[in-house]
Amino acid sequence: MIEAKNVSMKYGKNGQYALSDISFFIDRGEFAFFVGSSGAGKSTLLKLIIRELTPSTGCLKVFNRDVGRLPRQKLPYLRRNIGMVFQDFRLIESRTVYDNVAFAMMVIGSPQREIHKRVPQVLTLVGLEDKTKAKVCDLSGGEQQRVGLARALANRPALIVADEPTGNLDPGTTLDIMNLLRSINQRGTTVLVATHNREIVNLFKKRVIYLDGGRMVGDEQEGFYTHDH
Amino acid sequence: MIISSIGYVLSESFKGLFRNRLMCITSTGVVAVTLLMLGIFMLLSLNVAHITDQVKEQVEIVAYIDDQASSNTVAALRQKLESNPGVLEASYVSSEEHMERLRRQLGSVLEGYDTELDNPLLASFEVRAMVPENVAVLAAEIESYPGVSEVFYGQDYVESLFSVTRVLQLLGLTLMVGLAITAVFLISHTIGLTVMMRKKEIAIMKYVGATNWFIRWPFILEGLLMGLVGAIIPLVALYYLYQYALDWVAVNNLAFISMLPLQEVILEVGRYLLPLGVGLGILGSGFSIGRFLKV
Repeated sequence: MIEAKNVSMKYGKNGQYALSDISFFIDRGEFAFFVGSSGAGKSTLLKLIIRELTPSTGCLKVFNRDVGRLPRQKLPYLRRNIGMVFQDFRLIESRTVYDNVAFAMMVIGSPQREIHKRVPQVLTLVGLEDKTKAKVCDLSGGEQQRVGLARALANRPALIVADEPTGNLDPGTTLDIMNLLRSINQRGTTVLVATHNREIVNLFKKRVIYLDGGRMVGDEQEGFYTHDH
Repeated sequence: MIISSIGYVLSESFKGLFRNRLMCITSTGVVAVTLLMLGIFMLLSLNVAHITDQVKEQVEIVAYIDDQASSNTVAALRQKLESNPGVLEASYVSSEEHMERLRRQLGSVLEGYDTELDNPLLASFEVRAMVPENVAVLAAEIESYPGVSEVFYGQDYVESLFSVTRVLQLLGLTLMVGLAITAVFLISHTIGLTVMMRKKEIAIMKYVGATNWFIRWPFILEGLLMGLVGAIIPLVALYYLYQYALDWVAVNNLAFISMLPLQEVILEVGRYLLPLGVGLGILGSGFSIGRFLKV
């Protein structure tokens, strides 16, 4: 599903390497953590996967397509297969929960009928079926991230990419959101999570890819995130 | 899918206008004010052109015929003038007719003077040029025709009239181009602010896989509507302003200022302002949104 071969990423012409010589393969249906301290290159790696950035050298394949060579006009169709979850939620605060999720379907041209059917489904999945008409700005952080997750799921993506999804949440809410991501994964969706939350990584016992200073320093199935890394 | 997309674009455009009504009113206001200035200038220059045209029509060449010329020469001269492509019309005025005109102008001064016996006035052809600006060249050409003794066309008057018209036209064009450029700049700037306030929405749309055109359409439609309203407002204002000007000219007995009729002039200005407003609106939003699509 995702295959990186000697991927390097440099910001600007004479800038420092944010990532250097990264290689890995993530299969369909996997759940993987990208871990490392701030500046390790986790976010850059996710941005490469969603093609917000393109690799300076190396080859990165997502859904068997080299995203570095993907023509601009094909980008929207790649993104429709990826659900994105952000640390700062990136919701439209002035609109309702329903509208935020429906928006993601509307802007790719889904028919109204489909939207009416699908939005309540995903809101039930994330446990917000009672808040459909609430405005996003009136929700708690945890609830806002659930809306973010519902939006990411609305278009039935094959891959969920979450960049520090619990970075702004308290420990209890963090666990709720992570459990939701796990159950989404159990339904067959590939999930990638960038985080520096050791407790969560150690609790979940999933695949862990370690980054440090832009280099990949480890890749373990059922890995642990200890101070050694 | 296409129908639901069209529905989305239309409803988003109207919702967008409503949600950002303050910015939209500002943008529309900028379009309206700029087009109003442009419109006022167009009204002025259309009328100046109209008045100049009327004066030009009165420009004529008088070609005096040699008093030794035979009737054959005069007939040949008429033939030559009428077949000249630069001549709009040529009419013969006999020496008697000239005397008659003079008598009418001078009245009692000529009393007791036997004009039938002693008429010093020459017969002439009065020629109107096809293109009034070419009157000097045409006059020189006519002067060389056999049987013509002298040509007169009010050289100084005609030449200064044409140079004034040229300066006015050049000034008008410069001003209009200047105003149009200012308008594009102001509008794209104001609409740019509207777009900026919604850059988060645009980024989200990009992340969930909306195509660039899908994102652009509602903004472009909004720009179009703002431009359209921004052109209609000054047109209505110009209609009443021009009517006021016409009334003022009539009340003050300034009938020698011949102005174009109201309907005709507003239609003419509208033919430019409406597409200009719509075009400015579309261009303004199109330019502004381009920057935010690179996510």
